[in-house]
Amino acid sequence: MGDSEDVGRRDVLKAGGAAAALGLGGGGYLNALASGGDGASTATGLESFVGQNEVTQTVCSPNCRGKCPIDVHVRDGQIKKIEPHPPEDEQYKRACVLGLSHTQRVYDPTRLKYPMKRADWSPDEPNPTGRGPEAEFERISWDEALDLVADKMQSLKSEYGAESVLFHEGSGNYGQTGKSFKRLASLFGATQSAWGIDTNVGKGFNRITGHGAFLPPTNESEDWENANTIIVWGSDIFSSQFQMDASKVLDAVENGAKLVVVDPVYTTTASKADLWLPVKPGKDVYLILAMMHTVFEEETYDTDFLRSRTTAPALVRTDTGELLRAADVSVDGRDDQVVAIEDGEPVALEPETEGDYALFGEYTVDGVECVTSLTKLRDHAADHAPAAVAEKTGVDADNIRTAARWLATRGPGGIASSYALGRYTHGHIFGQAYAIMLAMTGDYGNHGNIHAHHPGGTTLAAGDWAAPSDVDPGPSLIFPEYPDAMIDGDPHEIRAVYSIESNMMGNQFPDRQRYQNAIENLEMYVVADMHHTDTVQQADIVLPVPHWFEQEDIISGWGSHPHLGYRHRVQEPLWETRDDYEAIRGLAERLGFGDRFPETKREMLRELASRDDAIDFETLYEQGTQRKETTPVVKYTDEFPTETGRIELYDDDAPSEEGVSFELPRPLEDRTADDHEQADEYPLMFMQKHSRFRIHSQYEMVNWSREINPEPQLDIHPRDAKARGIEDDEYVRVYNDRGEMVVKAKYNEAFQPGLVNTDQGWWARDFVEGHLNDLTHNETSDVGRCMAFYDVRVAVEPAPEDVDTSMYTEGNPKGSGAATPHTGGD
Amino acid sequence: MTNYGLVIDQERCIGCQACAVSCKQENNVPMGQFWNRVLTEGGDKLDTPAGGYPEDGDDGTLDMHYQPTACQHCENAPCVKVCPVNATYTRDDGIVEIDYDKCIGCRYCMAACPYNARVFNWDEPEHVPEEGTGDVEARPQGVVEKCTFCSHRVDEGLDPACVVNCPADARIFGDLDEETSTVSKYVNNYETDRLLEDRGTDPKTYYIRGEMSPGRPQTSDKLESELDDDAMPGVPAAKSGGDD
Ligand code: SF4
Ligand code: SF4
Ligand code: SF4
Repeated sequence: MGDSEDVGRRDVLKAGGAAAALGLGGGGYLNALASGGDGASTATGLESFVGQNEVTQTVCSPNCRGKCPIDVHVRDGQIKKIEPHPPEDEQYKRACVLGLSHTQRVYDPTRLKYPMKRADWSPDEPNPTGRGPEAEFERISWDEALDLVADKMQSLKSEYGAESVLFHEGSGNYGQTGKSFKRLASLFGATQSAWGIDTNVGKGFNRITGHGAFLPPTNESEDWENANTIIVWGSDIFSSQFQMDASKVLDAVENGAKLVVVDPVYTTTASKADLWLPVKPGKDVYLILAMMHTVFEEETYDTDFLRSRTTAPALVRTDTGELLRAADVSVDGRDDQVVAIEDGEPVALEPETEGDYALFGEYTVDGVECVTSLTKLRDHAADHAPAAVAEKTGVDADNIRTAARWLATRGPGGIASSYALGRYTHGHIFGQAYAIMLAMTGDYGNHGNIHAHHPGGTTLAAGDWAAPSDVDPGPSLIFPEYPDAMIDGDPHEIRAVYSIESNMMGNQFPDRQRYQNAIENLEMYVVADMHHTDTVQQADIVLPVPHWFEQEDIISGWGSHPHLGYRHRVQEPLWETRDDYEAIRGLAERLGFGDRFPETKREMLRELASRDDAIDFETLYEQGTQRKETTPVVKYTDEFPTETGRIELYDDDAPSEEGVSFELPRPLEDRTADDHEQADEYPLMFMQKHSRFRIHSQYEMVNWSREINPEPQLDIHPRDAKARGIEDDEYVRVYNDRGEMVVKAKYNEAFQPGLVNTDQGWWARDFVEGHLNDLTHNETSDVGRCMAFYDVRVAVEPAPEDVDTSMYTEGNPKGSGAATPHTGGD
Repeated sequence: MTNYGLVIDQERCIGCQACAVSCKQENNVPMGQFWNRVLTEGGDKLDTPAGGYPEDGDDGTLDMHYQPTACQHCENAPCVKVCPVNATYTRDDGIVEIDYDKCIGCRYCMAACPYNARVFNWDEPEHVPEEGTGDVEARPQGVVEKCTFCSHRVDEGLDPACVVNCPADARIFGDLDEETSTVSKYVNNYETDRLLEDRGTDPKTYYIRGEMSPGRPQTSDKLESELDDDAMPGVPAAKSGGDD
């Protein structure tokens, strides 16, 4: 650090440019600050308002890892600022730059005010081609909106069946509304949405351990300081996932933990690492197999753990490749139990037993030749020694060994694996692989173990309320199946969509053109949202939702922290906005299910809370947060929910893809393959990193953030840029066989040559041309069934001369409340 | 005497911008202006590293740190010296502040400040929302403004907004004249730098580089001096400064 020139050069932000809550006995959530409060002038000659605000405790809850309890300060009927509010367990005090800026979001001009109908839509003549950027909307009443929707649902039900109506729920909010949405869908018999994003890695992990849906459970963040080695794999946790709780990871580092970051990008997180492994995109399975090889070679595996909690000793038949079962041979035990060798004798393997089982070797049992599962794994890993994969993965062999050695020998630690890995087509293989790697090092069930890049957190357990056991729910479709259903009626026709909490057409779904074509087959598209998003612009009926500060809810701490939070209303809903619950209940009444829904949202919340023994409505309401003590801090302490009760190292019932069968984690790549057929035409891999300035596409409009981060950019290594004649800050055209976008190039040495990136979450209005989801695709792997946003190839060239960039280049910012002075930033 | 100072642990700072934005929110800073900027010490642009990407499996030379930068509250403040009307002055507790009623907008102080810490309201200040934010009145057109260490909060026993809102516990505020304060301990026990020390400004903002500190776990918005002792983090006793 040093001279003034440096300060000047780093001066990225040059200066000088341009209600009261509901009462329930006056609970502790409403607490005007005690100190100060006389509005005295300070010595600056200005009035200070410290202590004059009415403060309401509530919760912020997009699909981030925060679910942060916050205080909202109101003065003169205006929200003035947000501060974090330490929850019941104070060590979970948290918030990020976004939650702190709701002050601007609440009043943003993008807020929806009234129910609307697309001007050229009617139930009988839906005019689907009228949707899109040019669509115009007219204000209607709530009654009219709900009548139109309910009538159309009924007529579609009689014509095509109830399943022709799709209830699509996104991840835009973590309250209880989704449960009422599912309840109505179940009662009506509608098709329900099933997740098709970020489930890849969890699927592979689950196959081995029985745990994991998105990412597998991991110890709560309060425990991370006990980790001795943290391998963050494919995640910039300090920009997204852990920024609001960063102190926990930093405390681990301060305590002496080794931080390893595996990432093709030198991220903020990588900049804090003791060791950074700059892996090439899609080569992660090679890399972790090489780490396994190191552990085998150096014999640093956890023998006790492998014997007691895994199927490492289970015998695999040489003839069939299947696990030897007790029934195959004369071994006492249940027929389907797997068999190990103990003191030279075959025995059936029980869960959680500590026998002196043979971990390696070939054995013949009743004439059947076998080897142990661990032998199979060792031989497989031997094909991927560090030196052998170094060139392919781009990672130095010694560094691979160091990372493996730290994990295996420094005591409890883990792998904070990420959703990014699952954004490559075959990402589930990595899930399988690292589940096995952590079994080798015995990193399950201890303080300091880590299995995912965000903690487990907790949810409200409401039993069957969302899917009442007395009704037959309709079918479900995973997201990537929508277009085929809409276009070809495969597996069944979808004629209408009711969408909540989702900017599906603007950010959450890939291949924008395909989805736009698909929705042309809809007769009705109902979208409920807080803002006029790109998805709202495609809607036929628009239902305006109040800002979170105008809603009441119980917020789950899923993926975040072990509390539930009570969302108190800070102010009355602005304009004619209405809570989703009221809209859902209004529809339920019209559809004949009114009696299945409590009259008010508060009553629903009470009913749901009463179903969860671990919490108490009054306490939650009064305190604003309640730690759910039934949420274990340390995970994986019990028998694994697999057939054997153990981690199953060798999966003889494995699925296969493209001729590759996954008994063991075998590498398989899609577009990242060096010899992929499009490698010459579209030589660059394209990623859409989560940034600290948006949660998916939420907060896009926050003026403060946009002063720092004003427009979409293409992060590109200077060498890749220069090879294409692209100057720094020049607008570029990024394209492939699906579409294109025009954004500004940002020379960024942090990016691996061959890899480019545009941070996700921008709205269509923010792009000079196109959209990043014009480039992504909707293809999934058979096993993962998960959108592969990063497994995308593009080419880049300077933007055509005639592209109009005036929205950014002439101090003429388009977008968020066009008055925003986008003067700062780079 | 009280002498307020700030320690920023750059090993902890994750460049999240929460301090920059909560500063704007709390202090009602106009759009287009920042009192507190999170600079990237690395490449030319925000969030880019210096050095080169690894080639052929080597380790490369990339390096990046964040440097949150606001008024350094210099002990020997050039801005105070040049102000012709004594609008900029140093309070008894060491905070350098501007009396906006006195400021004539000559901007000598801006020229004198080597840290680019001051901004000038050339136009009628704009706020989003229009009514303004935070807990302090907006400044008019034609005056210079800058970080006040949130003196309006400090006067009420509260930590500055940027300190309360840092999720990395990287910002520590307190009394440098109090030996047992965390800022004093960290300045004594960790390797710290001040910006442009050669200018003789004697800044009261210290940056930790090298070994990471335990930071300042925040579970309250109160000044350290208002808290019970056991609410504060322990500083490892055996740390000696300057050896790493
Ligand atoms: S956006 Fe997420 S991390 Fe940020 S304050 Fe809100 S809940 Fe917390
Ligand atoms: S940093 Fe600049 S404005 Fe602040 S006291 Fe020093 S010279 Fe004055
Ligand atoms: S809030 Fe803390 S971590 Fe974030 S940029 Fe500021 S000092 Fe760094």
